[in-house]
Amino acid sequence: MTATAGQARCCSDSQQYEIRLQGHLDSRWAERLEGMAFAFDGDGTTTLTGPLADQAALHGLLTRIRDLGLPIISIRRIDSDVQRPTDNSGQ
Amino acid sequence: MERSAEEPLAANPLLASKLYAPRWRAASVLRPRLTQRLDRGTESKLTLVSAPPGFGKTTVLAEWLAARAAEQQPVAWLSLDSSDNNPATFWTYVVSAMQAVQPNIGRAALAMLQAPQPPATETILGILLNEAAALSSPLVLILDDYHVIEIVAIHDGLAFLLDHLPDQLRLVIASRADPPVPLARLRARGELTEIRAADLRFSPAEAAAFLNGAMGLSLSADDVAALESRTEGWIAALQLAALSMQGRADVAGFISAFTGNDRYIVDYLVEEVLQRQPAQVRSFLLRTSILERLHAPLCDAVTAEGGSRAILETLERGNLFLVPLDDRRQWYRYHHLFADVLRSRLGEEQPGQLSTLHGRASSWFAAEGQSASAIRHAIAANDLARAAGLVESEAQMAMRHHRPDRLIEWVKAIPDELVRAMPVLSTYYGHALQGMGDMEGSKARLDDAARWLKADADQQGMIVVDDDAFASLPSRVALGRAYLCMAAGDVAGTVQHSRRALELLAEDEHHWRGAASALLGLALWFDGDLESAQALRGQGGASFEQAGDINLATISAYHDGDLLKARGRLSEARTRYERGLRLALQHGERAAQGAANLYIGMADLCCELNDLDGAARNLGHAEELGIIPPRTPYRYLLARARLLQGHGDLAGAFELLEEAERIYVRGAVPDTRPIGALKVRAQLMQGRLDEALAWVRASGLSFDDELSYPPEYQHLTLARVLIARFRRDGDTRSLAEADALLTRLRDAAETGGRGAAGIEIRMLQAFVARCAGDLAGANQQISEALTLAEPEGFARIFLDEGLPMRDLLRQAVSAGIGGDYARRLLASFAGPGEGPPTAASPVTGLAEALTARELEILRLVAGGMQNQAIADHLVISLFTVKRHIANAYGKLGVGHRTAAIVRAQELGLL
Repeated sequence: MTATAGQARCCSDSQQYEIRLQGHLDSRWAERLEGMAFAFDGDGTTTLTGPLADQAALHGLLTRIRDLGLPIISIRRIDSDVQRPTDNSGQ
Repeated sequence: MERSAEEPLAANPLLASKLYAPRWRAASVLRPRLTQRLDRGTESKLTLVSAPPGFGKTTVLAEWLAARAAEQQPVAWLSLDSSDNNPATFWTYVVSAMQAVQPNIGRAALAMLQAPQPPATETILGILLNEAAALSSPLVLILDDYHVIEIVAIHDGLAFLLDHLPDQLRLVIASRADPPVPLARLRARGELTEIRAADLRFSPAEAAAFLNGAMGLSLSADDVAALESRTEGWIAALQLAALSMQGRADVAGFISAFTGNDRYIVDYLVEEVLQRQPAQVRSFLLRTSILERLHAPLCDAVTAEGGSRAILETLERGNLFLVPLDDRRQWYRYHHLFADVLRSRLGEEQPGQLSTLHGRASSWFAAEGQSASAIRHAIAANDLARAAGLVESEAQMAMRHHRPDRLIEWVKAIPDELVRAMPVLSTYYGHALQGMGDMEGSKARLDDAARWLKADADQQGMIVVDDDAFASLPSRVALGRAYLCMAAGDVAGTVQHSRRALELLAEDEHHWRGAASALLGLALWFDGDLESAQALRGQGGASFEQAGDINLATISAYHDGDLLKARGRLSEARTRYERGLRLALQHGERAAQGAANLYIGMADLCCELNDLDGAARNLGHAEELGIIPPRTPYRYLLARARLLQGHGDLAGAFELLEEAERIYVRGAVPDTRPIGALKVRAQLMQGRLDEALAWVRASGLSFDDELSYPPEYQHLTLARVLIARFRRDGDTRSLAEADALLTRLRDAAETGGRGAAGIEIRMLQAFVARCAGDLAGANQQISEALTLAEPEGFARIFLDEGLPMRDLLRQAVSAGIGGDYARRLLASFAGPGEGPPTAASPVTGLAEALTARELEILRLVAGGMQNQAIADHLVISLFTVKRHIANAYGKLGVGHRTAAIVRAQELGLL
């Protein structure tokens, strides 16, 4: 992946996503949720981070989250060459 | 692929549970606020209940349903699941659900949905909606769990339904997500009522009523508030919390622990609930969570223990998220959220068990003959060999019930190397791929199967589960190859492979024999050998009848009629239609579409016999049954056009031909009378020769084309155009070309047994001879034509030719040819008001009569006199002679002396 920041990517490329959910979800659910990494934030939310193959995989994951009744707070696509601020919600 | 329509989807054993509306429990909290909104919602087209799982959508609908039932206002219910993602299946269930409440609605729609060639969804829905509009009391239909539907075609159908929803039909959709239909538009027009999560949440008062009332707890107002706040009124959570607190000594401790953490509520609470269950129940819950539906014997099998019935009853009594699927307490399911958590716990605690549990479920379902579930569980168990075996056993049935999509879905889960090692599975998969239009894929799979079947094949590593299917495999492969050839337009290949299939098929494999015979007959038809085609198609129809495939048998009868008419066997065609109608009408609505086509075929036949009243009657019968797309409408218009022509309304007939052309849909069988050529013939009748000539140029047809069967009608039309050209312009080359073409066409028609064409050709040859001045030749040809035509009663083939034919017949009769038959035909050429309808052809009658002077000069021209001599003879100027001649030619529609003479003779002027 050598594309420069800002260049449009084909929507079928694998991307890193970060999804924040209301409530603490036990990491036991990781397998059900595409093997995403779980991080618990102090404000009572859970952040899922991980790669998704394409948009279809993203929508599949969102459907599964919907079916658990977990409110979604935000969805963010993470550009791989943008520096993320370090914090202790690690990968 | 031919489909059998005889296994109605509605007989599916699962249907009962899909139509079973949930029973409302008296112990539940009453929510008049919501049921009143649902009542008001019946004034809008659509009521949408949209919220994530666990918000009590189904419960509130159940409460509403119970209230309406108590007031004699029944509501139709349909529970959707993910295997309903097929338009025909979906709409069949919708109609079935409506029928549970209104038995008389939707019969025609159901019949269409299950027909071999279903019309477009919108057509079927249109008919259903018309019936709904005529209901005496409004019908409410609830679709539960609509979020499982993913197919765009179904969403489009639903949008169409909503667009055209009559007042007597109301829709309620319950879903976890807003359905992709134009909600904004409905909202803007006030046609949408919504009940969303915010509406469904328990209010603090409702929460109190639930916890302290329904669940029998005694919580303080503060406790209730704390719980209500933590769960935000999410009903499932409150239910779980209540279950966790029942009989617990330290309720306060529970509440404080629960409200003091942020854990995913359902996870936390289910854990609490599980912990409080006896070990046996807990184990039961976890292990049976893999099942989509629960049944005591099934649970016994999965847990490998007994006592499931007692446990299920306990769970139901304890309100532990067990939902009954019928009134007899045979089948249940877990509430989705509950099951999700149980499954995740099972996955965490006993990951190794999953495969075993699914395997046991698969075995149980297989023993019960419920293959779809057996396959699903085998795949979940990752026991792909077993899954593949089950798919193989189910493959033939899936094809017969026209669900290639299901077969393809199942095969997707099986590794390719495994499929390729299974010839039976490969073969039916190959057939299924054809159903989806993937010919290349189909060929590859048939090739895979064929490799194992070769005489010298090394069958090492081959896997066969269904031995009977394996024994019959060579015929299935041959038939599959025949279809591929047909799709590729390879007639010779189709003949070869379908013959082979027939050799291989057993006598009692009626459905398959029917399919093979019909296909071979079709290929022979394209080849132009109508007699052999007829024989095979006849066998095909008989086989379909024996197999009980009424729809296919009726379609067969319709095409048989076409073939017989083309062979010139009119009375046999009539018998065939009548026999087909008797069979179709015995089966009522299911065969109505086919029967309409048969009436149209009869009407066309009546036209040929000049029984115009009979034709009109038959068209009326067809209208009563319904003229349903895709193909019946244009056939109907063609028959109507023919009837109009018989009555002399050429302009009206032409308009109908143009409309038929607009709505034409190609079928699999050859088009014996293509609309384009029919239009040209109509144009010729109206004297529009230039347009006809333009068609010839555009079509690239030529008199010296190599002749083959399907374009025969066009070549005959070309011959007519050439003759018409000679008549108008005196162009002898056209006449010679027509002559040559007709000679060759005649031989070809003879070889192929195309009797009707044989009559037409001789008739046209008679015209050619007449135009060339060969009266004896004309008599010879017309005599032959009449001889062939008389036994079958052909009439309009001659009458439609108009005055040139009258002229020929007069000549023939006065030469003692044709007998009574010719005299009767002649009598039919009466003028307007003088008896039975004739072909009043403006082109062969004169729009403007010749003046006496013009006629006089014409006679002199015919006598061979030159213009100057005529001027001298009549004592007028040469200029005047030329003027009269020009006028006469104009009225006769010719431009040339010779043509003028012929035309005048035809008109009986000379």
